[in-house]
Amino acid sequence: MVRAIPRWLKISAVGFVILTGILLLAPLIVVVGVSLSQSQFIAFPPAGLSLRWYREVLSSDAYLSSAWISLQVAVLVTLSASLIGAMAAIGIHRRKLPGSGFLSIFFLSPLVLPTIIYAIGMLMVWSALVGPVSVLTLWIGHTVITLPYVVRTTLAVLSESDPFLEEAAQTMGANRVQRLLLVVLPQCLPGLAAGAFFAFNISFDEAVLSLFLRRPGLTTLPVQIYGQLEFSPDPSVAAVSTIMIGLTVCLIFVIDRILGLQRFSST
Amino acid sequence: MVDVLLKDIRKSFGSMEVLHGISIEIARGEFVSLLGPSGCGKTTLLRIIAGLEGVSQGSVEIAGQDVTRLPPEKRDIAMMFQSYALLPHLSVAENVRFPLRMRGIGSREEQAERVRAALETVHLSAFAERRPRQLSGGQQQRVALARAIVSNPKVLLLDEPLSNLDARLREDMQVELIEMHKRLGLTTVFVTHDQEEALSLSDRIVLIQKGRVEQEGTPSDIYARPATHFASTFLGTANLVAAEIEGHGENAAARLADGQVLPLAGADAQPGPAMLAIRQEDVTLLAAGSVEGALRARVRTRVYLGARSRYVVELSDKELRVLAPNDSVFEGGEDVMLKIDPARIRILPAKET
Amino acid sequence: MSDRTENLVLVLPGLLLLALAFLVPIGQMLVLSVEGENGFTLAHFSRFLTDSYYLGVLWRTIRLSIVITAICAAIGFPFAYIMAHVGPRIRLWLVLLVILPLMTSVVVRTFGWMVLLGRSGLVPDILRDLGLAGRNFSLMHTEAAIVIGMVQVLLPFMTLSILGILTRLDPRLEEAARTMGCSFLKTIRTVVLPLALPGIVAGSLLVFTLSASSFVTPNLLGGSRIQMLATSIYRQVTQTLDWPFAAAQATILFVGVLLILIPYARLTGARNG
Repeated sequence: MVRAIPRWLKISAVGFVILTGILLLAPLIVVVGVSLSQSQFIAFPPAGLSLRWYREVLSSDAYLSSAWISLQVAVLVTLSASLIGAMAAIGIHRRKLPGSGFLSIFFLSPLVLPTIIYAIGMLMVWSALVGPVSVLTLWIGHTVITLPYVVRTTLAVLSESDPFLEEAAQTMGANRVQRLLLVVLPQCLPGLAAGAFFAFNISFDEAVLSLFLRRPGLTTLPVQIYGQLEFSPDPSVAAVSTIMIGLTVCLIFVIDRILGLQRFSST
Repeated sequence: MVDVLLKDIRKSFGSMEVLHGISIEIARGEFVSLLGPSGCGKTTLLRIIAGLEGVSQGSVEIAGQDVTRLPPEKRDIAMMFQSYALLPHLSVAENVRFPLRMRGIGSREEQAERVRAALETVHLSAFAERRPRQLSGGQQQRVALARAIVSNPKVLLLDEPLSNLDARLREDMQVELIEMHKRLGLTTVFVTHDQEEALSLSDRIVLIQKGRVEQEGTPSDIYARPATHFASTFLGTANLVAAEIEGHGENAAARLADGQVLPLAGADAQPGPAMLAIRQEDVTLLAAGSVEGALRARVRTRVYLGARSRYVVELSDKELRVLAPNDSVFEGGEDVMLKIDPARIRILPAKET
Repeated sequence: MSDRTENLVLVLPGLLLLALAFLVPIGQMLVLSVEGENGFTLAHFSRFLTDSYYLGVLWRTIRLSIVITAICAAIGFPFAYIMAHVGPRIRLWLVLLVILPLMTSVVVRTFGWMVLLGRSGLVPDILRDLGLAGRNFSLMHTEAAIVIGMVQVLLPFMTLSILGILTRLDPRLEEAARTMGCSFLKTIRTVVLPLALPGIVAGSLLVFTLSASSFVTPNLLGGSRIQMLATSIYRQVTQTLDWPFAAAQATILFVGVLLILIPYARLTGARNG
């Protein structure tokens, strides 16, 4: 690396990074701050410190029931997206199917299609062909949205594994099922696990699809927060939001343990 | 007793045929090298023996059984990959046990005993519980070797297993492979592009070029008597010099393009145009002057190699490579005489079809 | 069973899911957009394209997306460059700085901006203290609010997209440029920037599509008066219940996104393949 960089540039670079950091973190810090407020009103910096809004949240049926729905959906989505995504990634990775290049683009396409377009189509199809939306609708919809993440992270680790492992296992007498379970699956595992956590995070945080597919009694946590924000926000929204931020921090920590965050700099 | 029998193997990828009818017999306990430049089809041939590739035509027999249609897991083989292909999620011992487990060989205790013995053979007993990642390249290589021999396969297939090692380790491994082969007597097929490796390890070399068997024979045979232009240049990098053979028996001589005459007394020569294959170590350099039967040439470049020097000399408008000891040294631009032992000159047809 | 059958079995569940629950809904939406009472019609499109209100919405969507994309690129490139050149420890923290907002729910982040930009929020307060704004000044329900909120939401995408290219650049290229007499800034301009261009363009296309189609942030920060395409679609679906018209707007968005995604796929595909 070239060290000869003018001093004024280095100093302004530090300033620039700090300012960008403030831009990126400000809304999160503010939310955490508001949640600790004593006052009835949303204000930052908070007036006084208390945990009353957390107590409020934990005794609120609306928040708890929507959190329960979010959790149910997120867990179901994590399971289905991991299973389907891992199978697809292995099939695509082997590059023996015709049009495997097309396949991988197809499997990644929900990633780039704006969710709102998908949401409106899903709402129309479901109400036309099936009936009222349910947890099942959210489950399927979120699985479609999160599938690309699992496929992508799994493909990424597979592409780094020794391409001859499967053949080696074959020369050692492993049959099809043994190769899949004892050789390929263990190779996928770090990517698959990271993908699964991504899927959980995205499903739990997702607002657009859930907004279109909501009905009374089927409100996910982000939709509940969204509704509060549209009408009458009080610091309890901030408390819920802070809990969600905390969950995200935990997930990032876990993903870092499994896959290493430095990977983000090369994808 | 023939252990591996390849009959007229042809292999096409799409419309391109890469193996044009190869037939090879390998006897039990024999160490055979498939030698050739990259892209000649030697690895494809090995993968066909393993069952990793199908054939377009022809058949593969292992120990008298036609296995052409059998997948690798049903063939009694073991293969060592260039990348070693160690399973990263398993420990060294589990890696070595893997083929026993998959092929259902022995009880748990017997498997453990065989793993222990195999690891001992490659001097890795202390590393049994490590992960492959935690080992050096040379150690990983020995794990791969242990894994290949542990199931006592009918045929051991080695796909350039030494090419990822540095020079020193490679020499050690060669010795280890030779000793291993002597002790276990496994029928072994070894793929390499390195002629020295093939010469030092094998009982027999099969020289492959462009999907065909170019020549096969013992290392000394194939080295001393290359049958084709390719064989003579690929093994030992001989110089090819076009010449006109004149006379018979004791009077035979080769006339070069510039008119100089090289006596070929005793060589098996027929009059007419020919190609002389002259090994670079078979040429002696002498100081300029009149020496009978020697050729006039001029040194262009000398490359110092330690014990010896490699010279590029100009002979009759052609470049000739010469390896010579450093007891008398010639510099670029110097005129020299080349003395060549006629018995060591190989006379090949002028043109090959 | 052949290898091909095995792989087909592996891929099949995903293929079926995407066909039934992804392609069918999108197809249904496209069909609905041209469906009238007497069969095929383009009436919903002509209604959109002849009404100056909706044309205004479309224009605002494009205009704001361009502004957001430009700001993201202007911040994202130097930020990614710095990330690529600091030591591994600091880089990890910077990656965390980018990932944390990226993985936080958009609803939560937007809430933060509502607090910051509202009448009694920190930002208007500061502007008032500096004498740059009047008494009742609020940034809420302005285009500026949408831009600020969206830049924060989308900056991580731009940064990661450029970082992906920069980390793969041979560091010796820059050193070579310096030995050939380029100053630091000139090296950035003549060596780094051109080589990073595919990442910048890909990131820009991505950010543009995301901002043109995003909904939560514009709706909450822009309010009901400042509509963008996605918020307008949501309104048709939930308030006026005019689904065919909503489908027509979504189709316009869809076509626009497709037009942008084709060069995006080329750029990123060429990089990976």
